[in-house]
Amino acid sequence: MIVAALLILAILLAAIRLIIWHRAAGEQASPLRLTLLLLLQPICAGLLLLGLFPPATIGGSGTLRIATAGTPRLAAGGTPLIILPEAGTIPGEAAPDLATALRRHPAANRIEIIGRGLTPRDLDAARSVAVRFAPPQPPKGLTDLAPPVPTAPGASFTAGATLAGLPHATVELLDPAGRITDSATPDPDGHVRLTGTSRTTGTADFTLRVRDGNRTIEQAGVPVVTQDSARPRLLILAGAPGPEVKYLRRWATDAGFAVSTQMSAGGGIQLGDAPVSIDGATLRRFDAVLVDDRSWAALGGGRGALLGAVRDGLGLILRASGPLDGATRGQWQALGFTLKGGNDLAPLALPKPPVVAIARTRQGITDADRPDDMALPDEMLPEVTRLAAAPAGHDTVTLLQDAGGTTLAAWRALGMGRIALFTGVDSYALTLTGHQPLYDQWWRSLLGAVGRPAPAPAHIDGIHWAGERMTLCGLTGDAQAIRPDGSPARLIPVNGCAAFWPANAGWHILRGKDGITPFHVQPAGALPAVRAARDRAATLMLRGDAPATAQGEPRPGPSWPWLLGWLLASALLWGLERSRIGRCQSAL
Amino acid sequence: MSADALRTHWTTPARHRRIADTLALGLPLALAAAAIGWRLAGPAVAGLLAIVVFAVALIVARQRAARHDLPWLIRSLDATRPELEDSSALLFADDAPLSPLQSLQRTRIATRLDQASPHDLTPGWSKRLFLILSVLAVALIAAALLWPRAGEGPPTLAPSDEGLPARPGIPSLVGQNLRIVPPAYTGLPVRDSASLDARVPQGSRLEWTLRFDPQASAPRLLMLAGQPLALRQEGANWIATHTADAAFLYRVDPASRRGATPRLHRVDAIADAPPQVKPLTDSLTMIKPGQRSWTPAFAATDDYGVAATARLRVTLAIGEGENVTFSEREIPVTGTGPARNRRFAPRLDFPTFGFAAGGDMVVQLIVRDNRAPGPQEVRGPSLILRWPSPKQPESSGLTGMVNTTLPAYFRSQRQIIIDIEKLLRQKRTLAPDRTLARSASIGGDQQILRGRYSQFLGGESEGQPELPTADADGHSENDGHDHGPPVSTPNVFGEKEDVLAEFGHPHDESPASSLDPETRAILKQAVDEMWQSERELKTGHPDTALPYAYKALRFIKEVQQATRIFLSRVGPELPPIDASRRMTGKREGLASRQLDITPVKRQDGPAAAAWRALGAGPDAIRGPIDLAPLEGWVRANAGRLPDALALSGAIDAVRRDPACASCRAKLRAQLWTAMERPLGQPARRRPADATGTRYLRAIEGGGS
Repeated sequence: MIVAALLILAILLAAIRLIIWHRAAGEQASPLRLTLLLLLQPICAGLLLLGLFPPATIGGSGTLRIATAGTPRLAAGGTPLIILPEAGTIPGEAAPDLATALRRHPAANRIEIIGRGLTPRDLDAARSVAVRFAPPQPPKGLTDLAPPVPTAPGASFTAGATLAGLPHATVELLDPAGRITDSATPDPDGHVRLTGTSRTTGTADFTLRVRDGNRTIEQAGVPVVTQDSARPRLLILAGAPGPEVKYLRRWATDAGFAVSTQMSAGGGIQLGDAPVSIDGATLRRFDAVLVDDRSWAALGGGRGALLGAVRDGLGLILRASGPLDGATRGQWQALGFTLKGGNDLAPLALPKPPVVAIARTRQGITDADRPDDMALPDEMLPEVTRLAAAPAGHDTVTLLQDAGGTTLAAWRALGMGRIALFTGVDSYALTLTGHQPLYDQWWRSLLGAVGRPAPAPAHIDGIHWAGERMTLCGLTGDAQAIRPDGSPARLIPVNGCAAFWPANAGWHILRGKDGITPFHVQPAGALPAVRAARDRAATLMLRGDAPATAQGEPRPGPSWPWLLGWLLASALLWGLERSRIGRCQSAL
Repeated sequence: MSADALRTHWTTPARHRRIADTLALGLPLALAAAAIGWRLAGPAVAGLLAIVVFAVALIVARQRAARHDLPWLIRSLDATRPELEDSSALLFADDAPLSPLQSLQRTRIATRLDQASPHDLTPGWSKRLFLILSVLAVALIAAALLWPRAGEGPPTLAPSDEGLPARPGIPSLVGQNLRIVPPAYTGLPVRDSASLDARVPQGSRLEWTLRFDPQASAPRLLMLAGQPLALRQEGANWIATHTADAAFLYRVDPASRRGATPRLHRVDAIADAPPQVKPLTDSLTMIKPGQRSWTPAFAATDDYGVAATARLRVTLAIGEGENVTFSEREIPVTGTGPARNRRFAPRLDFPTFGFAAGGDMVVQLIVRDNRAPGPQEVRGPSLILRWPSPKQPESSGLTGMVNTTLPAYFRSQRQIIIDIEKLLRQKRTLAPDRTLARSASIGGDQQILRGRYSQFLGGESEGQPELPTADADGHSENDGHDHGPPVSTPNVFGEKEDVLAEFGHPHDESPASSLDPETRAILKQAVDEMWQSERELKTGHPDTALPYAYKALRFIKEVQQATRIFLSRVGPELPPIDASRRMTGKREGLASRQLDITPVKRQDGPAAAAWRALGAGPDAIRGPIDLAPLEGWVRANAGRLPDALALSGAIDAVRRDPACASCRAKLRAQLWTAMERPLGQPARRRPADATGTRYLRAIEGGGS
């Protein structure tokens, strides 16, 4: 209002000056010119005021069209078109992001999105307006990629991918040495799962390759993080010495478990490691307990202590060493495993081992003690059996299945701990016939699923692209992101989360107070279909929550028409003051 | 002389001359072609080329000779012999009737014709063309014989591909050649390689010829693992030789490590593969009637050549049952065909080896390749020729599963007949009640025997025997077992398949009822006869029992000839363990024991450390990396690594240029193939957060 008062004062002063001047001019003065000048002064001041403070616009027909990536050039024209950076060079009004565009067009309460959809950058801004989006055809090619979660050293991991519009493609997983380590064709829905094996701790770059015949259609990096976990402590209880417990002990010892084995030889004689008593205090020292049916029956009162320890987080694996007796079967059923089926042994359908070339890539170098041909699967399949009864239940999770789809192992939660039931019998035969990887996978997944939880370093999931903002969460205090070239970037967390804008592709490291977490950033041009599918889906989700109060708050209108008018009026005023129109030509 | 004969007389010399002339022209060409063919592909091709060129020359000669026909003769005579007055055509025209004037002229000139010889018409030799062709042929032959062969004479140096910037004053490699002289036994030609990387047969001699600019003083070939190889000067070139016994990596060091380090070169030594023997005859052959000899055939292949002579190991197994004698001998055999794919088909005469019926002849070919020194010897698969014994029925495949159960019972039936006959002989001397008792006792034996045979029929022959009027398979309402209630199911159209279930029932309760129907019928008749025999015996009529017993014996013989019985194989059925009896014996000296176990240590430490250092993770080292431990580990574990040489090369590349990103990536890729896959460690699950803990506590009571 001060501006308005100043302007009014200025008009008054100008009017007084004009009138004085007019009087002084005498007969040369023209009343017409004076009138015009007096009229134009307030008009000019009013336009200036409006130019400085444009009138607020409320409502109106404010539809903005937003051009995103993949907008056809023909879309220019018609209602105002805002060009976001992803759209490329299209005639229209360029805006660095959607929020800027909306600020510039306060009248807009509805946007129409052309192209593939908004990027994550613009999603928040788009929530304040109504969104119209006619989605394009779903992108073709590799539309989704699920990199594996952090694995343990030597573990096999699974990477998932989804293909669209490529019914005859094959997908290959290449290990860091460039060898094909798995190859599969997608199912009718386009999903495909590929298996690889990790080696030592660290980061590894696998590659996923989509091929159609001999032509490579697409290629993408699959980042794999391998982390060490805390060394698990395992207690093995066996009702009798036998090959199964012998090989389990050997496997667990070599794998780095702290193993304590108790084998009952009958008559109170115990073989194995130093005897441990089964009570709550002792069991708190272990992360997992492996019990066979005979030692379970012999535990007696120790069973209560064991289950109590499970409720506090211990992992318990029940293993059958042969057909179960009635009491054990009943007790295990009471633990939540239905064990439906006969009480005899049935043959176990082993999965077909992979071809030798692929098996070799999953194997690693041979042990000095174990020749190469022993590490590769035999032609002969070992005789591994299972209980005819399947260990399923209404709240169990299936963990292992044989090639025929029969459940071999399932687990369920009991308190903070978990109980698993493994129905395979004589699995040790796998290690003697070159099927060690399968044996390893079985027992590793059993112990991994039920073992006592251990704190693990954080993990950043999802796919991130260079040049696209990402959010890092779970930060405390001074956190740094180390770029691939080794230069650090300081992160400023707000509520534990910070934004990070990776400029280059590659492995980054998040260095926080409680450890370091590697994360991978894909190159800006990588996985275009994944990005397009993500943007399309996110923009489609926006359509639903159009805001109800879009026209509620007034926004400042555009100022340039007023300023233009002011300029014209000022020019006219100036011209009028300088011109001779209306002056009496005394010289003539 | 007729017109035809006259024409032939006058044209033949010219034709002969023309043919001889053309062939003379073809001769130098044929020689030149033969020389080129011999140079490029050996004498056989040379001969073939010469024949082809000569054949072409012959065809051309015939065509050229054919031009000397009648018009030519007339034309020539008219042109060269004015006294014939342009009328020579009349001399050779005999088909058309001549006018009187023509006849007159013909007789006039006919006398003049013989004043000259036909040889006057022969064309001259093409001397000039012959001369040109001869010179050309001599030039071609000389070129073919004198053109330098690869590997002979001084080599042509190829420009260096080291790709190093030249620095003034420091010698650098400018010309290179690697001559590969494979071992003589391979038969491979000497070849010159422009590149310093090569794959050569193991044992090849390598000759490097290198040229440096400016001239080097003491250049060396630095082996990555091993002693450097000094070069000796020969004119402007430097020469070194080495025998490739194993693959190696090396680099050319022109200036005693003063200049930039050049890249590594790799020489792979391809080991000689042992020969392969493939039998062309079936692994088991049965002898044919009247066969007197056997010719087993083998194909032996090798990468360079199989020795022409091989040895055939012949093992004879003669005899039957436990009385089998073995004899073994080796005979030399000679193969046919090219060296790389020889065929051995020795003829083995049975009398020579003493091979007779009831024996097996096993042959095995032992071949050697031509590697020098130390040929590789390979034993092929064994082939068996079987001459079955005429006595024993052949029982291949099912040996062990066939159980000839019946003959044991057969002897019992014969024993019964002997007993009856003995009783009949003694009947007169015995009291009637004694006769009856003994007869009844034999009847008892007969009953037991009958019972055993009945088991094979499902026990359904117990009880009444069938009358001869009974239906064929002896199935009636009262045959000793339950037939079930009468069937009252209404017949529905289309449901007549299960006729057996409606009108009968299967009788195979017996485990041994896998007898075929004919055998069953015969066996059933035998059992019926035994029943009759038993009845007569038990009523004290051994004389009337005897025919039945004989009939039974005859039927049993038929059964024995007809078939064998197949028994299913079952595992041993162990009694259940009685836990109460465990550990109840003496227990002195038994006590709990601790069994020690030592974990196997992982052995890829340096490789894993280098992998992490080269990567981008937390342990990454962006500057130079200490690769010495890794190199030592690679050298110590070369046998376990898939390609230790490539790994050594990659290590060297990184050491040479620690900042080279692609070298680091290459080494990292190589390291992936050189790491162990640790077993067992699972990824530990994470603890539940506060909400999760509450939830798990809440559902705790759940299933337990």
